[in-house]
Amino acid sequence: MEKVKIKICSGTSCFVMGAAAIQALEFTPPEDIADKIEIVEVRCMNLCHNVNDKHNHGPFVYVNDELIEEATLEKVINKVRSILNSCNA
Amino acid sequence: MDNSLFIEVSKEQCQKHGEDCFGDTVYTKKIPEEQRIISVLSDGLGSGVKANILSSMTTRMAMKFVESNMELLRSSEVMMDALPICQVRKISYATFSIVDSELEGKTRIIEMDNPPFIFIRDGKELNIKSRELSSPKWKDRTISVSQITTQPEDRIILMSDGVSQAGLGNPKYPLGWQRQGCVAYALKMIRKNPYISAYDLAHAIVREALDKEVDKQAGDDISCVVLYFRKPRKLLVLTGPPFDEDKDREIAEMVSLYDGKTAICGGTTANIIERELCLKCEIDKTSFDENIPMASTMEGIDLVTEGILTLTEVYRMLKEGIEKNKNNAAVRLANLLLDSDRIDFVVGTKINIAHQDPNLPMELEIRRNIVKKIFRLLQDKYFKEISVRYV
Repeated sequence: MEKVKIKICSGTSCFVMGAAAIQALEFTPPEDIADKIEIVEVRCMNLCHNVNDKHNHGPFVYVNDELIEEATLEKVINKVRSILNSCNA
Repeated sequence: MDNSLFIEVSKEQCQKHGEDCFGDTVYTKKIPEEQRIISVLSDGLGSGVKANILSSMTTRMAMKFVESNMELLRSSEVMMDALPICQVRKISYATFSIVDSELEGKTRIIEMDNPPFIFIRDGKELNIKSRELSSPKWKDRTISVSQITTQPEDRIILMSDGVSQAGLGNPKYPLGWQRQGCVAYALKMIRKNPYISAYDLAHAIVREALDKEVDKQAGDDISCVVLYFRKPRKLLVLTGPPFDEDKDREIAEMVSLYDGKTAICGGTTANIIERELCLKCEIDKTSFDENIPMASTMEGIDLVTEGILTLTEVYRMLKEGIEKNKNNAAVRLANLLLDSDRIDFVVGTKINIAHQDPNLPMELEIRRNIVKKIFRLLQDKYFKEISVRYV
């Protein structure tokens, strides 16, 4: 089965809004998903510029093709688990 | 001025154990319009506040006199007359070593009572003949004057007696480390790394001197100044997207044609260069740090980092010291800056709207401001030659 791809924006504003904590996935991933994910570090994806309402919704993380706004480590892990579960179902 | 030498000047000091301030003073000044650098090291009699006052007065006076090309004997008489007389020893006293260097290569060294300077060329110590002068008024003081025509890769080392006498009282070094010990150590360091910076060499010498002391506690103020003459090392720092997108191509070409090292600070800036020069940029995970975004690698570019956070941290480290045990993007950038002599900043002035959001949890500096702070510090504290261009 293909690994779940996680793209974490490491632009300045995503970084200060918490992307650094999500990068921890790279080094200390939860055991159940450790060998099922692939982290793709990216520089600024410019998503913060594209938001329609004025406020920044970072950090931005893509889990496969799905964009998570205001991402947290927990949100990302949950998303990965739900993708893995739906594949197994 | 492109063919002239660059002089990297760096000092390291350690104060006598138990004292609140340095008894030795080092003062370096660059006079750009004369292409001249003057560096003064003075050791005040005794230690602590009194010595600090004596040596501070001496360096300031010596700098003024040398800068205005005043006659040497007369200058030193004025200095000795002006220094307050020590109540304990009944003499007015502070030593000095002065290096007065012109960038075309003419260098004068004027010394009184410090351990003689060390001159290193081609990996060996060269003995330089000096002329001795003394004033009829202060017969027991001899001033020695030496002259050298410097070449690229020459080094001059000044030290206070805290270096040569390091280890006195330690049974392993009954006579202290001595000047000759310091010479041997400096030559060994240079053999190991022929391009060792003045900053690293001065720090290594003081560290080694301290190592000789009983309990590694300085028995006297330990000071070392290193001047390293070299062909300038150039660095281009590109940070921020240009105000006008039409300039993207121009700055990319600037990067590809630059005759020195290059650093890019900023995600969007890196994206522009990646796109314009068709290069591939990849995150370098070995630079992971919780507080600083990771660096990236791009072919032909020496360093790629995030912008504002990294620059803010670089500014802090240039002010307070580089954290040697880290390898994050900011440490790499700070080392690259310190290792360069002539630094050309190209600063894109486009404002990143996303950074202006008041909900962001920490203060994000405006690029122009942080770059201005960095280059002033590089000029004033590290004597780098800086140019800045806003695009």
